[in-house]
Amino acid sequence: MKWILNKNMQRLLDNSTMVLFALTVLFFSLLSPEFFSFNNFFNILVQGAALAILATGMTFVLLTAGIDLSVGSIMFLVGVISGKMVVSGLPLWFAGVIVLGIGLAFGFVNALFIFRLKVIPFIVTLATFYAGRGLGLLISDTRAINLPESLLKLGSGKIWGIPVPILLMLIVVFLAYFILTRTNFGKHVYAVGHDPEKSRKAGISVNRVLLKVYLICGFCAALGGLVAISQLGAISPTFGLQSEFMAIAAAILGGTSLFGGRGSVFPGTLIGVLLIQSIQNGLVMINADPYLHPLITGSIIFLIVMIDSLQNMRRKKAKKLGLN
Amino acid sequence: MGAMAGISNSKSGFIIYLCVGYYLIMAVLAPGFFTLNNTMNLLFNLLPLLIIAIGQTYVMLTAGIDLSVTSIVAMCSVLGGFMMSSDTGLFQSEFAAILFGISTMLLGGALIGTINGFAVAKLGMPAFMVTLTTMILFSGLAIWLTQSQNLYNLPEAFIDMPYTSLLGIPIPVYVGLLVVLVAYFLLNRTIFGEWIYAVGANTKTAKISGVNVPKTIVLVYVFSGLCAAVGAILYTARLETGSPVMGQNILLDVIGAVVIGGTSLFGGKGKIAWTFFGALFMTLLDNSLNLLNLSFFIIMVVKGSVILGAAILNTVLEKSLKAT
Repeated sequence: MKWILNKNMQRLLDNSTMVLFALTVLFFSLLSPEFFSFNNFFNILVQGAALAILATGMTFVLLTAGIDLSVGSIMFLVGVISGKMVVSGLPLWFAGVIVLGIGLAFGFVNALFIFRLKVIPFIVTLATFYAGRGLGLLISDTRAINLPESLLKLGSGKIWGIPVPILLMLIVVFLAYFILTRTNFGKHVYAVGHDPEKSRKAGISVNRVLLKVYLICGFCAALGGLVAISQLGAISPTFGLQSEFMAIAAAILGGTSLFGGRGSVFPGTLIGVLLIQSIQNGLVMINADPYLHPLITGSIIFLIVMIDSLQNMRRKKAKKLGLN
Repeated sequence: MGAMAGISNSKSGFIIYLCVGYYLIMAVLAPGFFTLNNTMNLLFNLLPLLIIAIGQTYVMLTAGIDLSVTSIVAMCSVLGGFMMSSDTGLFQSEFAAILFGISTMLLGGALIGTINGFAVAKLGMPAFMVTLTTMILFSGLAIWLTQSQNLYNLPEAFIDMPYTSLLGIPIPVYVGLLVVLVAYFLLNRTIFGEWIYAVGANTKTAKISGVNVPKTIVLVYVFSGLCAAVGAILYTARLETGSPVMGQNILLDVIGAVVIGGTSLFGGKGKIAWTFFGALFMTLLDNSLNLLNLSFFIIMVVKGSVILGAAILNTVLEKSLKAT
């Protein structure tokens, strides 16, 4: 009996983010009965789909000890270009293909500068962050773009009864999970993040791994951008600002390390996204003063990271004692 | 891995040549660049950025990051505005208002820095997450406290400060000089400076060799908070208002200045002089592009390209230096 209890306790400790996520849900459910409903959970998933896709791509990059600051700008540029294309009467699928290509192109440029010219990822993606947003502002003439019905229909559309954003999110998360846990490439991603020198010596093409993760991240940013605009009526010039930080925050909340080699898309990053989205949704549900939203969101994330870090420290100490 | 090191190297002194070269080119190209008026402009734009970037350098030397600097600027600007504005009328005499205003701003910056440092050092939380949440928290708090309103009617002597000269030199220059000298002295002539480098190079080794790691980490964040507060004082005086969105857009400029100067994001490598030239380069870039009468979005694209170009040039130079 005691043994089972210990084992369960251990499991709980290992999944402290999950526990805290459950507590957050419980907290909002007690305050607002509407929060704890099937409909609202669906809403949270739909609203979180774009961030989940974005953060999934970011997780790949973070796992290699890299960073991609350009994702918010890619989202913005993708939104502006696809919006303009659809408004001018081009078919939706064509616009979609073009902007996904743009996302890949950004990823390619990022990767090229990083492995070919050996510039650190922070600087490269800072540059593409400026370039992407500047281009987007140039094309949109710094004005908001109103989106046509056809795009919004995609956001509210359903396939087999599942809203399209949720379906896309599930596909992306599942593919990422599969790639990271079941393929050689996935193992290489962790290896490169853990120690690039050793990986090279072990015969892994570090450059190819880096190229692929930035391509994945660029693609995910473009897809996330499409999903996000399909739920908005218009794209404002501030669309996508600070999305890179939210994506990184989601990944870190889910246990991914900024220093590479440690983390997961599922359950990790997905839980991080759902956590952030639940807080934002819950605050609307309990009619919190909009000025207070950032204060409460910030406090809750801070608290969660704190508890997680304290658990981590305790675990490390316990391990040390156990070894001695 | 080469790509993980800083982009600059003390041996090549690259960033210095870059600044001088860029300055000379723009003196020819940009109309009105090489004038006393514009030089003063450059100086006023450089000083707050430089001061905040110096604080950031301290943090980055310990392999940390401080994303909260912009929210510290906003929070301090609001605090100072509240203490000094004749609308709130807390103090009868102008002298008392300025004295208490500036002290409150510095205290506010130090306090937020203490929270950051305590969370990173004592609670073992990742610096990125800590300062991301304090960024969200305190910028939210600044906006909530003021309900998005600016605070006007600051004391005359305070808003005249940027234009008041002592021995022919404007007061902000003395402030900047003081911060640079103190930062240089602490980093290069005291045991505290040695600790900072030791912690950044290798935390474990530092701990074994008797460095008080937690104390060092708390102090660098306090220092960064203080620097951001000083930056807020300069901005608030120059813009003649306490604003809850002050400094909102300079975060990546600050980090960019430090990193392009050559300080490593992974700790242990960096200098005040590098950051000085990094900040100078960022300021030159903004200022010259403005003078060329380019539109806001072209400026962003060019800014991104120049940052990237500078980084690439540096890598190429370093390679050829190594080859010879």
